[in-house]
Amino acid sequence: MMTIEELHTNPAYQDALVDLLYQLADDDFIVAYRGSEWLGLAPHIEEDVAFSSISQDTMGHATMLYELLESIGEGDANALAHARKADERKNAILLEMVNGSGTYLQEPKYDWAFAVVRHYCYTLAKTIKMKSLQQSSFEPLAQLAVKINMELHYHLLHWKTWFTQLMKIPGESQERMVAAWDRVMKDMKGVLALGSYEEDLVKYNVMTNETQLMHSWMQEMQSLISNYHLPIEVRLKMNSGNGRLGEHSKDLEDALNTLSSVYRIDPTAAW
Amino acid sequence: MEAKKAFYQEYEVFSKRTYKSPFQHQFSLLAPNEEIAMVMAQENFMRREPVVDIWVVKRSEVRKLDETERFALQRLDNKQYRSTKGYGYLKKKWREYEQNMLDEKEILSWGGDGKQ
Amino acid sequence: MANMVSFDRLSEEEKHARFMERIAAGEKIEADDWMPEEYRVALIKLISMHGISEIMGALPEKEWVPKAPTLRRKLGIMAKVQDEMGHGQLLLRVAEDLMKPYGKNREDIMQDLFSGDLKFHNVFHMPAPTWGDAGLIGWLVDGAAIITQTNMLHASYGPYARALQRICAEEVFHAQHGEAIIMALTEGTQEQRAMVQDAFNRWWESLLMFFGPAQASTTGSSKQDVTIKYNIRTKTNEELRQDFFSKYIPRALSIGLQLPDSTMHFDEESKMWVYQQPDWNKFKQIIKNNGPKSKERLRLRQLSYHNNEWVREALSPMNKVV
Repeated sequence: MMTIEELHTNPAYQDALVDLLYQLADDDFIVAYRGSEWLGLAPHIEEDVAFSSISQDTMGHATMLYELLESIGEGDANALAHARKADERKNAILLEMVNGSGTYLQEPKYDWAFAVVRHYCYTLAKTIKMKSLQQSSFEPLAQLAVKINMELHYHLLHWKTWFTQLMKIPGESQERMVAAWDRVMKDMKGVLALGSYEEDLVKYNVMTNETQLMHSWMQEMQSLISNYHLPIEVRLKMNSGNGRLGEHSKDLEDALNTLSSVYRIDPTAAW
Repeated sequence: MEAKKAFYQEYEVFSKRTYKSPFQHQFSLLAPNEEIAMVMAQENFMRREPVVDIWVVKRSEVRKLDETERFALQRLDNKQYRSTKGYGYLKKKWREYEQNMLDEKEILSWGGDGKQ
Repeated sequence: MANMVSFDRLSEEEKHARFMERIAAGEKIEADDWMPEEYRVALIKLISMHGISEIMGALPEKEWVPKAPTLRRKLGIMAKVQDEMGHGQLLLRVAEDLMKPYGKNREDIMQDLFSGDLKFHNVFHMPAPTWGDAGLIGWLVDGAAIITQTNMLHASYGPYARALQRICAEEVFHAQHGEAIIMALTEGTQEQRAMVQDAFNRWWESLLMFFGPAQASTTGSSKQDVTIKYNIRTKTNEELRQDFFSKYIPRALSIGLQLPDSTMHFDEESKMWVYQQPDWNKFKQIIKNNGPKSKERLRLRQLSYHNNEWVREALSPMNKVV
């Protein structure tokens, strides 16, 4: 087992670990941000309340991960969340994509089908990662994964309910859901990707490899598809680029501008 | 219009706070079916409290008393024979035999060797 | 009344007399109970407006949810705005049950909002251009809401009283969330302090208007008489406004804010705060959806309503395929 104090004894381990922590934190941070933009715009009020809890939980997970990075010397957690530039971010591109046209304040034409599919696919991937991370050789991360996993049961149930119901209703609902599914598939591989340190992550038992992650994800999804007789196929791709390598779209830059707009007024002030 | 209105079905939400506590009515919510109602329930009404179980019940499945029927709930205060109140004199009697009365507090403390 | 055979056989007058007896005795009226039409109508008006105001009230603050300056503030304001939606849910459920005899449900509430028949609270028509506004709304707009809502905690209508019980418990968190933002700013840099004073000045008139005019004659209509008659609330608009001043003016001064009304003072003799009246004609215009942000915020709600129409249609039990 590796602890924070011993990290400096193995720089290769530390580099791989830090990269992974950024991936996990940035994923949760940006997807929670996208979720928070939905607040007040969901299909009905009850769902607005439920969805917001999931965004809060997810932002909470991002916070714990940034704090873990802070504790291993990466700098202030708030700065990590608010001040890093787009090309320093390690989140998957799928998670930074806008919810639809317009902004959350001006003419938001948000797509509920995309929200449901993206969140369901992401939550399933996150659950699989957390399961693997519970065995991680980095002890603080293994402990964190146990905690985060507790809240994922609800997220998964919530999104699965919307996903299976809307996907099964013929006509407009199914058409929209299948279209959203196709869009998500085009970049879902990027969510399961582990970036340039994969080899070391596996070597040092920080987590399982990419192939295994994808295999587990596809297996879970495939069994859902056959149980519910859903009209979709799993085809994981990474068309828009690899966020784990710092490749990002303009959507991320716009999001960072918004989410740091108050922070940037005075990064040294107490807010 | 009617189809759209029908999305809003009424569900009553009940929950248990701890394993020992009984189910308690929380509030009602709108959802198109019981699966969606179920995933709305906890976050709408129990965001800040512990929950160990939830029921959702379709409002139309609940048989309620109407205002006239509620008169059937009234009763006279002459039923001491049903409660320990009607047997309070036993305390004094047992004292004559130099014994303590086995009252409610005493009897309910017997389960679990005094452990809660 | 104890020898009553059937409630249905009572005359309207007898039902009314029994109703007034029940509320005088502190009994709570429930959704399916008989109630005077005037009571039902007043409750629907009051509670649907209260509920939809919570929903519309989420919008000015929502603006600041993604922008909140730290992780902790992001989480806090998300939870706070979620609660506003949650309060809207509770209140609309109460209003919807009252509307049921008219064959109306949430769909109709939304349509009434879009058509302008259902009004929302004056404060939620106003802009919230800075983070200072986010704090000020949490502190003072919620503070004002706490004053009016606690006044109705013992309302004769049971479902409303129970909803308010839940709401007021959460408002305590809201008030502290607002205070925390404001204090961090007033104890911060010059720029941060200016942000708060600026927001205070901007919200002053709206806060005065919050409680409604003192007399019905000011704007031509007021629910206050009916709601007091039926034990829905106990205090008048002006009494509530004075309570608000007494609780919040000393606090505002203590953290170094300046009152936007320089003439304002407490009159020892009448034990009342003396202040300059807001422009009540402006108030009338604002609540008719002619406020600075009325159209924009209605548009947001309308858009979300239409964008998600397919979801409600697909899942409608009338399209039973699932």
